Amino acid sequence: MAIIITVVVLLVVVTGVQILKIAELRAISQGEKIYEVTEKESKSQAYLLLMFLVYYFGFFAWQVYQWGDKMLPVSASEHGVGIDSLMTVTMSFIIPVFIITHILLFWFAFKYSYSSKRKATFFSHSNKLEMIWTIIPSLALTVLILYGLSNWNKIMTPVAENEEHVLIELVGQQFSWGARYAGEDGKLGRANVNYIEGTNFIGIDASDANSNDDVVVKGEFHLPVNVPVQFVMRSNDVMHSAFMPHFRAQMNCVPGLKTQFNFVPTITTKEMKEITGNEDFEYILLCNKICGAAHYNMQMNIVVESKEDYEKWIASQKTFAAK
Amino acid sequence: MSSITIENINSKAELKRKTAKPLLWIGIVSIIMFFSGWTSAVIVSKGGAPDWLNINLPLAFTYSTVIIVISSLLFHFGLIAIKKDNKNLLKILVLLTLICGISFVVSQFLGWKSLYNNGIVATGSESTNASSYLYLITAFHVLHLLAGIISLIVVSVKSFLGKYNSTNFLGVELSLIYWHFLGALWIYLFFFLKYIA
Amino acid sequence: MSTHHHHQEDFLFKYIFSTDHKMIAKQFMITGFIMGFIGMIMSTLFRLQLGWPGESFWLIDTLMGSWAENGVMAPDKYLSLVTMHGTIMVFFLLTAGLSGTFSNLLIPLQIGARDMASGFLNMLSYWFFFLSSIIMLISLGVEGGAASAGWTIYPPLSALPQAIPGSGLGMTLWLVAMSIFIVSSLLGSLNYIVTILNLRTKGMSMTRLPLTIWAFLLTAIIGVLSFPVLLAAALLLVFDRSFGTSFYLSDIYIGGQVLEHTGGSPILFEHLFWFLGHPEVYIVLLPALGITSEIISTMSRKPIFGYRAMIGSMMAIAFLSFLVWGHHMFVTGMNPFLGAVFTFTTLLIAIPSAVKVFNYLTTLWKGNIIYSPAALFSIGLVSTFISGGVTGLVLGDSALDINVHDTYFVIGHFHIVMGLSAVFGMYAGVYHWFPKMFGRMMNNKLGNLHFWVTIVSTYGVFFPMHFLGLAGVPRRYYTNSEFPLFDNLVDINELISMFAIIAALGQLLFLFNFLYSALRGPKAPKNPWRANSLEWTTPVEHIHGNWYGDIPEVHRWPYDYSKVDENGDYVGGEDFIPQTTPLGENENDGGH
Ligand code: HEM
Ligand SMILES: [Cu+2]
Ligand SMILES: [Cu+2]
Repeated sequence: MAIIITVVVLLVVVTGVQILKIAELRAISQGEKIYEVTEKESKSQAYLLLMFLVYYFGFFAWQVYQWGDKMLPVSASEHGVGIDSLMTVTMSFIIPVFIITHILLFWFAFKYSYSSKRKATFFSHSNKLEMIWTIIPSLALTVLILYGLSNWNKIMTPVAENEEHVLIELVGQQFSWGARYAGEDGKLGRANVNYIEGTNFIGIDASDANSNDDVVVKGEFHLPVNVPVQFVMRSNDVMHSAFMPHFRAQMNCVPGLKTQFNFVPTITTKEMKEITGNEDFEYILLCNKICGAAHYNMQMNIVVESKEDYEKWIASQKTFAAK
Repeated sequence: MSSITIENINSKAELKRKTAKPLLWIGIVSIIMFFSGWTSAVIVSKGGAPDWLNINLPLAFTYSTVIIVISSLLFHFGLIAIKKDNKNLLKILVLLTLICGISFVVSQFLGWKSLYNNGIVATGSESTNASSYLYLITAFHVLHLLAGIISLIVVSVKSFLGKYNSTNFLGVELSLIYWHFLGALWIYLFFFLKYIA
Repeated sequence: MSTHHHHQEDFLFKYIFSTDHKMIAKQFMITGFIMGFIGMIMSTLFRLQLGWPGESFWLIDTLMGSWAENGVMAPDKYLSLVTMHGTIMVFFLLTAGLSGTFSNLLIPLQIGARDMASGFLNMLSYWFFFLSSIIMLISLGVEGGAASAGWTIYPPLSALPQAIPGSGLGMTLWLVAMSIFIVSSLLGSLNYIVTILNLRTKGMSMTRLPLTIWAFLLTAIIGVLSFPVLLAAALLLVFDRSFGTSFYLSDIYIGGQVLEHTGGSPILFEHLFWFLGHPEVYIVLLPALGITSEIISTMSRKPIFGYRAMIGSMMAIAFLSFLVWGHHMFVTGMNPFLGAVFTFTTLLIAIPSAVKVFNYLTTLWKGNIIYSPAALFSIGLVSTFISGGVTGLVLGDSALDINVHDTYFVIGHFHIVMGLSAVFGMYAGVYHWFPKMFGRMMNNKLGNLHFWVTIVSTYGVFFPMHFLGLAGVPRRYYTNSEFPLFDNLVDINELISMFAIIAALGQLLFLFNFLYSALRGPKAPKNPWRANSLEWTTPVEHIHGNWYGDIPEVHRWPYDYSKVDENGDYVGGEDFIPQTTPLGENENDGGH
């Protein structure tokens, strides 16, 4: 294999050199300067540029057409709807900008390609124009910033203590997840890497009374639909990131630190199976911060179900004390 | 075959006169950024640690501060002296500065020793971030100071060889700028470590 | 005449320990290109894995040996490749390779100086870079493999060999290499700044500097301010790794035991890293923008539109680049208010960027554009700068970033806006200034072909990545086949990988053209592009000190192209007026 490749490469190089040499000799014999870009050459490149514009837009459209339905389905959380519409607004700003500037770029590039009959216009500055394209983007951006930040602040506000909610701690470790429910008392017991032992893989302190009714699950965790969920994230070893793309939710898990995120799931797994037309659809929690060799396979399923089903499920789980 | 050299190329000395100081200044800026990196790190770390250990700086660090201020003054007079062509005074003052510089290093070592004797260590399970930063920052200041001491040695050797006079004192000036900078840096670090860290 | 011994010495000082900026530029370029090719081959290897996960490839087998049993790379070695690819591309190709080449080549030539402020420091800068490259490459072969924590080397992963084998000796060498690299970069930047500020020829005021020089100046300033902070961050990591401190580490249970480290925080590292990391993006980008400004103006035979606005926006970008680092940390649990501030500053940076784009467009408008390969790549840069820039508005918006952070959307975004733009700028620069470097011309037809293959294939690689990202695919994944969720994305991944192979092969066109032209290309005339700036007044052959006789004096800005008088005739009879031509009567400078 290696020998064949070497031979092929050598042949290609030698041929290339010969072709270039011949082209040069021909040019010299005709009194041309081979390196000079002729008007004709400029023109043909200009046509190619115009064709590229068409191709590029075509490629873009083709991708949207071909893959548009492979994107994430509708948001399965309340705030995610806000994020999606913010995305729509942003896209409907940037796509036209992208298209218009590209048309201008390639049209100018085509139209003003070199002609010995024409003179370029000496036009070196215009305060008015420059003002215009400083101010217009500024205005557009102001709108985007304000809209974005109003969403951001809502998303980042934790669930109020007195509001009905589910409190869940997500713990990342190489290369699996654990989820701990706060249980009846709504309080998570103290936990820390120093208590990790045997099956107590997220390090719960058994001497803390709040721990007793905590429920720890692996592999899959359940959420009640339409009830706010407050997540607390932790990590046992390196950084991980709890990424739940269907809920438009992501928060890093940082060793030595507790981070948090909250959302209200709005679509049950069953409903989502219908929406996506995919019988096997499952919500998923995946790791989105490089954490080691098996980073690509650090997952946990999420089941969103009716409140009743959820309550049945959680009741069937063993509490920490019972284990 | 060798390339053609131009005779009227700006003479080396001329080039040096024009560029040495700005080179040094910008180098100093990068050192400042380096230490601001660490001092900001201290602030971030402290903000995230409720049990931050407040360390009393050893007395030796205060002495160091006094020593380095004195050395800066001495060296400064050295520059004034050579500008007036007073070569002997320069020799004396540079030597004194050098001695001060070395005393500064010694005093820093004494400071570390007394910290160590008080159980404040740089690394390992006994250490805290506060103590690690303290050692690290002061040690890296000393590292930079060693470069200053080398330049002082060069300047003193050259002044004993009579290389400087009232028209040629760029070397003294460069060394002085760096030395002043080290002093100022130390004073900043000292107050930072004392009152903020 | 000269003895044999003398010859050797000559060779040594002319080609190896040269202090001549033109030679150092070439050294930077060649080392940078070699590193770039290595980085590109790495990307081809891991693209093979991503396109056809688990399949055995002869190429992978041959190049990766024991890291790829039966021609399938191991997962942690995949991460090694990604990490080294990112590091090499960002730092070695596009920081040292790009800035090092063109700052060195053009600063003295375009400002009218005999050489850099300090040839010696300049030489040191190159040799540190060389040393750092060698160490980085050696780290590929060590026990446990090269660094594998991503080019951002976030601790604890990068601090703990227990967490991934690449965090052992490989990471140590990475840190050593990068520290040396930083020293190299600082020495270079020092020199660039001082040279530009102090050694300009008579008449070369700051507002007569070509935009390339402004770009190099601002790049160097950013470098001096940000690289030391990376060094500071890296040293703390070194201490955590090897000397038992806990700046970044706390509460870690790994390999069945709890580590002693307490009290540190990885978030601190992120702050320090991105304080360099984001400005680094502009260290990569600004020189490319400077180069294209110059080329677009020259090749469209028109003054650059809004010279002052261009400088102003580069200054604004340089300044703002220090205030936006937090946009890489929106989902680290940072205070939401801080997140809001960083969103604001980030979107602010879009304004000067937009101004630059519109100014490029207006420069092309009513120009008379000659399509050399350099001109094509410059147009390509404007396109990639727009295409990649607009998605920055998505990523910079904290609320939107939640769901695209660390996904392939980011990979698509930064490869286009930073990777492609800078690579295009670099290629443009090489095609344009090749005659200045080698006294020969490159072949235009091959150059054009190279451009077309490159732009089509690289957009083919990076544009679809946005779709992967919007489908939720995380970056730094060894394979996407572990999740049913990503099963329907196989064809996208295959398409990307095929384009990646074409892109890589396409670069061989350049390699061939480059080598052929350097050795055999037609001899260059003094001013092949009929340009105004000073470098084209130097003799074609390289001489110490750049000009025979006195350094020319400068009388005007560098963009007097197609200037006409009242009768509509070219002032001076040609469509360009070199900077050395004195201003005529009633003629204004600076395009006013
Ligand atoms: C043929 C050209 C290239 C291809 C096919 C390519 C492909 C890729 C891909 C697929 C990744 C993501 C890997 C992963 O997350 O698992 C990646 C990462 C990266 N690439 Fe490239 N790339 C190319 C050129 C460049 C260039 C020119 C740059 C310079 C800016 C660059 C900088 C990076 C960086 C910084 C990363 C991130 C590394 C990390 O996650 O630590 N790449 N590249
Ligand atoms: Cu992970
Ligand atoms: Cu950034």
